[in-house]
Amino acid sequence: MSSPEPIPPPNDRRSSRASSNASLAVPTLDNTREPVELLVVGGPPSTPSPLALRASNSPSSNRRKSRIAKLPPDVHLLEYLSACDSNLICLICHSPFDKPVQLACEHFFCRECLDHAWDAQHDAQKTCPTCRGRVDTTREPLPVPKIIATMLDELVVKCPNTKSGCDWIEQRVNVHDHVLLYCEYTLVDCPDFDCHLYITQKDFHKGCLHYTEHQRTTCPNRSTACPHCSVELLRLELNAHVKDICPKVIVPCPGTLVGCTVAVERADLAGHAKGCSMAIMAPYFRDQQARIERSEARLEPLSRKVGILEDGLSKITNMLYPPNANDSSFPVTNPLDPNSDAFTTAPLVPTPDFRLPPASFPPVPPSHDTSQTPLTNPTPPPFDSQIHHLLTLHGSLRDEVSRIANALTDYEGRTNMMIINENQRVKDEMLHTNAAINGMRMQLHWLVSATLQQRTGSTNSTGNSTSRAGGSTDSNASGTQGTNSNLGSRSAGASATLHLPLRRLSDSTRQNTKL
Amino acid sequence: MALSKRIIKETQRLAEDAVPGISAVPHDDNLRYFDVTIDGPSQSPYEGGVFKAELFLPDDYPMTPPKIRFLTRIYHPNIDRLGRICLDVLKSNWSPALQIRTILLSIQALLGAPNPDDPLANDVAQAWKQDEQAAIATAREWTEKHAKP
Repeated sequence: MSSPEPIPPPNDRRSSRASSNASLAVPTLDNTREPVELLVVGGPPSTPSPLALRASNSPSSNRRKSRIAKLPPDVHLLEYLSACDSNLICLICHSPFDKPVQLACEHFFCRECLDHAWDAQHDAQKTCPTCRGRVDTTREPLPVPKIIATMLDELVVKCPNTKSGCDWIEQRVNVHDHVLLYCEYTLVDCPDFDCHLYITQKDFHKGCLHYTEHQRTTCPNRSTACPHCSVELLRLELNAHVKDICPKVIVPCPGTLVGCTVAVERADLAGHAKGCSMAIMAPYFRDQQARIERSEARLEPLSRKVGILEDGLSKITNMLYPPNANDSSFPVTNPLDPNSDAFTTAPLVPTPDFRLPPASFPPVPPSHDTSQTPLTNPTPPPFDSQIHHLLTLHGSLRDEVSRIANALTDYEGRTNMMIINENQRVKDEMLHTNAAINGMRMQLHWLVSATLQQRTGSTNSTGNSTSRAGGSTDSNASGTQGTNSNLGSRSAGASATLHLPLRRLSDSTRQNTKL
Repeated sequence: MALSKRIIKETQRLAEDAVPGISAVPHDDNLRYFDVTIDGPSQSPYEGGVFKAELFLPDDYPMTPPKIRFLTRIYHPNIDRLGRICLDVLKSNWSPALQIRTILLSIQALLGAPNPDDPLANDVAQAWKQDEQAAIATAREWTEKHAKP
């Protein structure tokens, strides 16, 4: 409104830096003003923001692209909270630098401010606004030191939508993303296609709110007269007025509930209601009605619950007492051991009492009156006999268990005995075998020594042979010692004897006794 | 829009941090229109006088200079009968780095140092060149006559 040409709004920080660098690289002075650039969410933005990328990938991006357009924030209009060094203030706009550039004379300006100032100079000879020094536009403006850009980025600003209610306060470097992506108070196009106004982003999902606003305040045709009472009011509120307020509308007596047929204008209704007994009674009836409805509503889940419980109960009963069960096949002890002693405990309780046919629990239909539920049945329920039966069942089971335990110990003892006997027999066998082996060894020795004796031709004393016989009897008691002594005697030298028959005799006798 | 913020800032600064001998107050209905008073500089024929002026900031201020005109009559070779001022910084030498404060200080300095070689009021400049003392006396007389509160 004040400046004839719209100032191109600052772009995204990164792109702005890139663009300023690009414009610096290209030395020609760019005097053409770009039109106000709308950053379109959902379209391909200059720098892909997360939200924009997401929106552009979504299938509805085409629809949204044409609808949501936001203006990037104008850095010059920001409200700064941190005290800004006076050296960071642009002399032209008197605000902290926005995308600053530098001239050869070391004077700094916002890029846009400098362009504006040079626009007004009209000739090719551009000068520095501060010192009026000539500017070589083929080389200048120059980029500023990085530290200046950083200092500017760290200035703390308020959200430009503060007046709308946003309380965001952060460093200036983030304000662009905040306004374009996150701020709920950023204005976007109204979601209604026919509406060309703006709406805050947080109200976007509510649809067009401008029509109601229009109906209330701006529409020239917004007021109308009530057809009944001819009072002037907003067209928007006409329906509510006729329904609840208008004194001329003909309304029925509140006693309609109880049967009053009178219908008078609302203004006269009070007079009628005073005399109409039905109107007086109507509130009570309404209360009663509401209470009945509440009770019915409460009753319905309860009766359903009762039905479920009865169902479960009858199922349990069926499981315990199959309908075709008779006394003989009654499953108290049958599945365990039909011939066991425990069966004697079962007949303590008369069997007909056990058996509770499902017919004794008639399932109550949901609409059944509560006075006839089985709980309040005056006839004694058959539950005590059931308990009795369960106790009996328990007793028999316990008997069964103890019987099985006894049988187990019995079996254990028997098995132990069997194992001991078997061991004994095996031991005997082994002794026998050992004896036989020893006898055979004796014979072998004897034969060998006899052969040796024959070869040497020498004679041996009988004492020697008797001592040998004693050694052999010893070896019968303990096998290894016997063999050792035999070996010792054999190595002693002349072990062969002349009394072959005696040895054979003793050996044979021993053989006879053992076998 | 951004540059009107500069105007607001300048106005605030003029009010908070006033320059001695100079005041500029914006009109309530038009913040671009200022009522200005400039005290005559000491050691000059305008000493003791309070000169009223009007100042208007054009739409493209600060890219174009503000428009200033004296409302009080003043006998000065660079200021004509209508109060228009011949000052380079108000014309070709304007720079957007200048501001209301500096312009008013320049005008105050111009009052202290008339420049008859670059005249706007030719008759005054002529008189100034021919007889400076008489011209200064006339200027002092005019100040007494028009610029005393």
